[in-house]
Amino acid sequence: MMQFLKNIYNWIDVRLGTHEIITEKRTGYLLPRNINAWYSLGSVLLVIFALQVITGLLLMLYYVPDIDKAFDSVSFIMTEIPLGRLVRLFHAVGSSMMLLILLLHMFSILFMGSYKSPRELHWLTGFVLLLLAMGISLTGYLLPWNQLSFWATTVATDCVTSIPFLGDRIVELLRGGKQVGSHTIGRFYTLHVGLLPAVIAVLIGIHLFLIQRTGVSTPPFGLEDSKNQWKGETFEYEEHPGGVPFFPNFFLQDMISISLYLACFMLFVFFFPDMFIPSISYVPANPLVTPSHIKPEWYFLANYQTLKLFPSEIIGLTVQAVAMAFLAFLPFIDRGAEKHPLKRPLFTVSALGGILLWIGMTLWGYYS
Amino acid sequence: MRGWRIILMLLALGVMPAIEARAAAPQVIVCIQCHAALQGRLSLPVRLWQNSIHSEHGIACNACHGGDPMNSVNSMNPANGFRGVPPPTSVPALCGGCHMGITAYYTNSAHGRTLGQGGPTCVTCHGSHDIVSASLSLINKKNCSVCHTFDKALMIRKAMVKTDGMLKAIEKKITVLRSQGIETDPLEKKLFSLRNRFHAMFHSLDVTLIRKESAHIQAEIEKSNGAGGAGTGHLVGVLAVGWALLAALLFSLIKKNID
Repeated sequence: MMQFLKNIYNWIDVRLGTHEIITEKRTGYLLPRNINAWYSLGSVLLVIFALQVITGLLLMLYYVPDIDKAFDSVSFIMTEIPLGRLVRLFHAVGSSMMLLILLLHMFSILFMGSYKSPRELHWLTGFVLLLLAMGISLTGYLLPWNQLSFWATTVATDCVTSIPFLGDRIVELLRGGKQVGSHTIGRFYTLHVGLLPAVIAVLIGIHLFLIQRTGVSTPPFGLEDSKNQWKGETFEYEEHPGGVPFFPNFFLQDMISISLYLACFMLFVFFFPDMFIPSISYVPANPLVTPSHIKPEWYFLANYQTLKLFPSEIIGLTVQAVAMAFLAFLPFIDRGAEKHPLKRPLFTVSALGGILLWIGMTLWGYYS
Repeated sequence: MRGWRIILMLLALGVMPAIEARAAAPQVIVCIQCHAALQGRLSLPVRLWQNSIHSEHGIACNACHGGDPMNSVNSMNPANGFRGVPPPTSVPALCGGCHMGITAYYTNSAHGRTLGQGGPTCVTCHGSHDIVSASLSLINKKNCSVCHTFDKALMIRKAMVKTDGMLKAIEKKITVLRSQGIETDPLEKKLFSLRNRFHAMFHSLDVTLIRKESAHIQAEIEKSNGAGGAGTGHLVGVLAVGWALLAALLFSLIKKNID
């Protein structure tokens, strides 16, 4: 058996030079000596995206994007299809976990200063990926056509109406009419299974390409000089001589993080699915009956609460737009060379304050 | 025997659409609008009805009193089917219009045989506007002792306690299963049918029949108890989480050796 596999490997190797890829590009691909586990969150996100695609494709086999059939088709998947309930839970819980890990990945980049030059584009593509992940989660949330998804989508899309001049038109374009209805489910389905996954896949490719071109950034921890070494005169690949080989060393770190993530993920799937699919999700959508205390999904709660906080929705929206723009263009605003969070206290305190504010607004939105 | 049971079940299932068809949205009907604004005894029925099982299920005034609840001028015109307060002798037939399986039991019982001679009708136990749903608590010394001793009623009640408990237990189970996204429709329909059969049977006041039928219903509940599935097994969950943690430990040990 081993000899057979070896023969196949040799057959491919003499044609494509796979051995060279593994030895030079993987084993010879050196990472910073002080690299830490936070760097493996990107690999965890790749696994999550792959799982979402696989489970999504499986759900597509039975899901019907029609307001009269959507709820029943999801119920059919959950109750009649072998392992259907598990596949649906994997997909639903996975979408929330994807956003959670994306935020953690973003925070780690933020505190380690990895967004600094020459990695502005890495940050920007990552930021757009976060927005797209929120978009794909929002569009997918409506598809089961239950009371929670219908009303949460109504509330979430209502927020857009506060955009001056164009708000109503954008909402109509999104919903395909004045209200969330049959045209909305068609549009959201197309976005959810077609356009958004394709754009996300392309952007992931660009994100990885950028990392390959510039090399992995050096973490600021455990170094005397934690300043950004990039001069900005010519293109320069960030080498890490004497560093940690990607394969097998960091590959194993990736595997540890992925395994730990899967343990947490399955803990939620098997023991706390109600956190992601509460009992109201099992009631078909009824546009005539508004459930009490209806709210958007957790990742939109801070935005939702901010809108409620200000007397005018335009002010609330402007504040959010400014905050988002600041975050998106942070690498162009923060031009300091220092990367260590303790050596740039103003930034660290501001960033922590921002995160706490976001958590606070989310909790306020949840309990309000 | 089996034939009439099926007919009874179908009739019981047929009650719901009948109720839906007769129900009018209580917020908009003119009966509520006018009577709620009146003083004293004329507004009392509205207040009593608001806490009733009929109100809970959207069965409004017109279901029993007739009339056109959407016509503010002629709502109480007999030409629109308004019948006012139904005479006591017509109450069983009126209620039986929706609660179909019960009338026959009642008519043949000691209660039914004294109809029009001071014997009880549906509203004697269930109320007229403050209508309460059928439950064992209705069979109590205070209610029954108004006309006769409580002995026989107590025997009937005792014969029904176990089945009643089983029905309540399966109702709770359905709620849990539904909250887990498990398809409960067939189970709910079966429970609805069994509960109706169980409640209808009481009206015969025949202890032997009640005992015999209770045993049948209990057997049906036992059969239904296994239905509905058990959800995602926690054992599988423990194995999956355990497997992932074990993999993490294994990779960690290999990494430690390589580092």
